[in-house]
Amino acid sequence: MDRTAYFNDLMARTEELFYHELSDCAAWKTEFIGVDFIQAQDIQGETPAEVIEDCIGKIAAAGLIEEASYSIGGENILLYLKVKGCLHISKEAKLMKSGIKPYNCPIINMILDQLIEKLNFETTYVADLEVDTDAGMCTIKSAIFETPEKIGNVCDWSDECRLIDENNTWKTISC
Amino acid sequence: MQDILDVISSRKSIRRYLPDPVPDEMIDKILEAARWAPTGENYQPWRFIVIKDQETRNKIGDLSKIGSGKRMTAWYCMGTMQKRFEKIQDPEKRAEVLRFMYSGEVSEFCKQAPVIIAVIGDLKIGSVDVPYDLCAATENILLEAHSLGLGACWVHGPVAATRDAIKFKEILGIPTGMNEYKVICYIAIGWPKEKRKHPRPKYPLEDLVYWEKFGNKERP
Repeated sequence: MDRTAYFNDLMARTEELFYHELSDCAAWKTEFIGVDFIQAQDIQGETPAEVIEDCIGKIAAAGLIEEASYSIGGENILLYLKVKGCLHISKEAKLMKSGIKPYNCPIINMILDQLIEKLNFETTYVADLEVDTDAGMCTIKSAIFETPEKIGNVCDWSDECRLIDENNTWKTISC
Repeated sequence: MQDILDVISSRKSIRRYLPDPVPDEMIDKILEAARWAPTGENYQPWRFIVIKDQETRNKIGDLSKIGSGKRMTAWYCMGTMQKRFEKIQDPEKRAEVLRFMYSGEVSEFCKQAPVIIAVIGDLKIGSVDVPYDLCAATENILLEAHSLGLGACWVHGPVAATRDAIKFKEILGIPTGMNEYKVICYIAIGWPKEKRKHPRPKYPLEDLVYWEKFGNKERP
């Protein structure tokens, strides 16, 4: 029996029902999904980069993903993340098949949780989650706010992401 | 019996208030209206917290500002906020409206409302219907406030995200366990400062109503 497929099927059904109840607001409710794992990992770090890298390293070491690349841009508010080989991708594929855009990524939930828990970030928000099931890759754009004053610092994230891609300012961590 | 449609159709959300206090008798009438909302099995799972204290309102206002501001900052950076306001022709006015939104200031108004009523539900009482019963009570609050000449606004966003809802509960001393109380919204209430213009246009009924079966617009 494929236990991963079994558990992803359970999650997909739950998220489908949850979306049916709350539509796009469902995404606002799921920020704790996944945090139990990361909170048990004793993540270390004094800076966002250190915390993010320790999170990705421990997530990859546990076999939840193959690797992840991240870059921080946009006035230090944009956390741009690419996750490869995630254990949960079949959950996302199943949701997409039922016409629902994936909205709950446990991996980004873990990282954002640790920015809040370990670095006392004021708040975070997952702005976009794109899943490419063929490539086995998820691309996530999140807003991370170290202090309340950071809210309202705006710029064009499509430009920011293009520059990150062009200049290859990615940092990749794998197991 | 008086037709309530005039009250319903003339109500609009009011976000700017005079500093004048709202008399206790009016607050009591508003709460009484809430109490009479429909509720499955007559469970009445709603509980209401009336907040007048300025310091508490400031905390809720700050939480609301951050809650809206984080999302709208991200939406602006993603380019979706701009589309929402592209109908505003004047670029300076559009920019100011957008700044007002993504700064989160749009949701700070409860600091100026003399009264806030938090609507929470006891999940151990009639849990099947909690969100629906609470929304019915909220609508009654809005209509009664409006019928008394007050202005009010239903605010859900700041308590919609799980972490924010926990912070909201902590401000008001509500038990934070996920199995205890659900915060559905708060309502800011006060004497309207803004001119009571007619509510925003609504879709015509023919766009909204089907007859007998989904999709059938032909009235039999």
